[in-house]
Amino acid sequence: MKKRIWKLLLIAGGLIYIAAVVIIALALINNQKLIDEWKTAYDFKPEARSRISPSAQNSALKKKIQSYQPRGVYIMIDSAENKYYLREGDKVLREGLVSTGSGEILVEPNGKRSWIFDTPKGEFLVKSKIQNPYWVKPDWAFIEEGEPIPRKMEDRVEGGVLGDYALGFGNGYFLHGTLYTRLLGRNVTHGCVRFADKDLEAIFKASKIGTKIYIY
Amino acid sequence: MGQTAIRDKKADEGQQNFIHLLPAGLLFGLVLSLVQPALPGKLSAEQIKNKTSAVSQQKKGNAQKKPLEVPGTSARQPKDSDLLKENRFLQEELTLAKNRKYYFVIDLKSKKIDIRARGMQLKSWTASQIRYSGKPLPLKVLGLSQKSALNPPKRQMIKPGEGDTAAVVDQEPVSADKNNQDKKKNAQNGTTMPSQEPGTGGETFQLEALEITDMPGNYELIFDNGLKISVRSPAGKGQKLRRLQENLSWYIFLPVNNFLKKDKVHNQKMILYFDQPRDAQGIYWAFIDGIQGIVWLP
Repeated sequence: MKKRIWKLLLIAGGLIYIAAVVIIALALINNQKLIDEWKTAYDFKPEARSRISPSAQNSALKKKIQSYQPRGVYIMIDSAENKYYLREGDKVLREGLVSTGSGEILVEPNGKRSWIFDTPKGEFLVKSKIQNPYWVKPDWAFIEEGEPIPRKMEDRVEGGVLGDYALGFGNGYFLHGTLYTRLLGRNVTHGCVRFADKDLEAIFKASKIGTKIYIY
Repeated sequence: MGQTAIRDKKADEGQQNFIHLLPAGLLFGLVLSLVQPALPGKLSAEQIKNKTSAVSQQKKGNAQKKPLEVPGTSARQPKDSDLLKENRFLQEELTLAKNRKYYFVIDLKSKKIDIRARGMQLKSWTASQIRYSGKPLPLKVLGLSQKSALNPPKRQMIKPGEGDTAAVVDQEPVSADKNNQDKKKNAQNGTTMPSQEPGTGGETFQLEALEITDMPGNYELIFDNGLKISVRSPAGKGQKLRRLQENLSWYIFLPVNNFLKKDKVHNQKMILYFDQPRDAQGIYWAFIDGIQGIVWLP
């Protein structure tokens, strides 16, 4: 009797096992079909009446995309690696280390205002070029130091901290020099991009108003 | 009679052996299927291309999906379909290239993840392996709606009055002249000091800033069309166990789930594997909220 029960259990177990294996095998076949569809089934509708061949259309599209690319020199800033590249077309003219935003948060003691010190990402233009720049300290600089915010403009001005050149790219953000050269290659700034003196000079000379900056 | 008895006994032994060997064989096959690299979902793009060429030829008969096919030009069909697919991709990229924002392109064939702006490649990573499952993704622009990680990076709060991290680390800014003088002094004394020259920064002291190394090495990217991309790298502990669990899930549970829920819409899933944690961290850094891009298989 016991032997029979064991036999029955064994048969039932075997059947369940075989069924499971068959289901898995069918599932894998189905999965393969789905993967094959990735290669073949894109739901797009080509222009059936178009007289232009697909290859000609493609080269026209490529040209159109290329037309959006910057002409002349442009600056690329990799905020993850804290590196900059001065480029012209595919050529890298110069590269080096920079410091970008620390990503820290500052909240005003009364909680009314807060700042996130990130370097903005995207495409920007050089909007201003300044030699021997002075830093007009914004409110957060005083809040961060725990100092009262001055009412007079002249109390906000500080010289010699931005290096010899500064290139503004909007919303108070600049590419500028630094005294903290040890921190080049690290994320330490309040959103501006700090350069070493020689790199900054090269960038300042190579760029003009309207030069594109790509930060990523 | 004696002979038949012996034969019966042998047959019984054979049956018993079969009963014992069958599950063992099936189990072995199952384990082998988990270990084998050339299995569905883990195939390289070239393998898929070769394997699917026959299937794709069959599917090209479908007039709805391939309206430009002309009867009698079957030899030229794959080329045309490739061109049309590229055409579709370029049209989508054009919409992205018009914007000032940068975008991503995931090429499943070359296993490349590009960050592009205006059609230019800004940065690129190559995955060691890409897996994908589910219904094919339409060749359309998709947007990142959420990044999910077990240990997401946390921004540090600056306490007013304590100054920023740069000031804390570098309380006394060093001028270039002073730096050179110190270097000469140290050279005379035979001691070394950390370099402070421009271009040799990036030293490894601890900062309270959010840096690439603070980014997670394993996380999920969830897109607005339901696509879920898991990014995996050897960052963190228990990687082997996690990989085993993921393999089981990918090769057994996911296909079975897809098979049993055949009629239901199931979202696409993808896993990108990287050999270096920094690659995965770099993607986490570059894939900002709302970033748009294209995933395609050329």
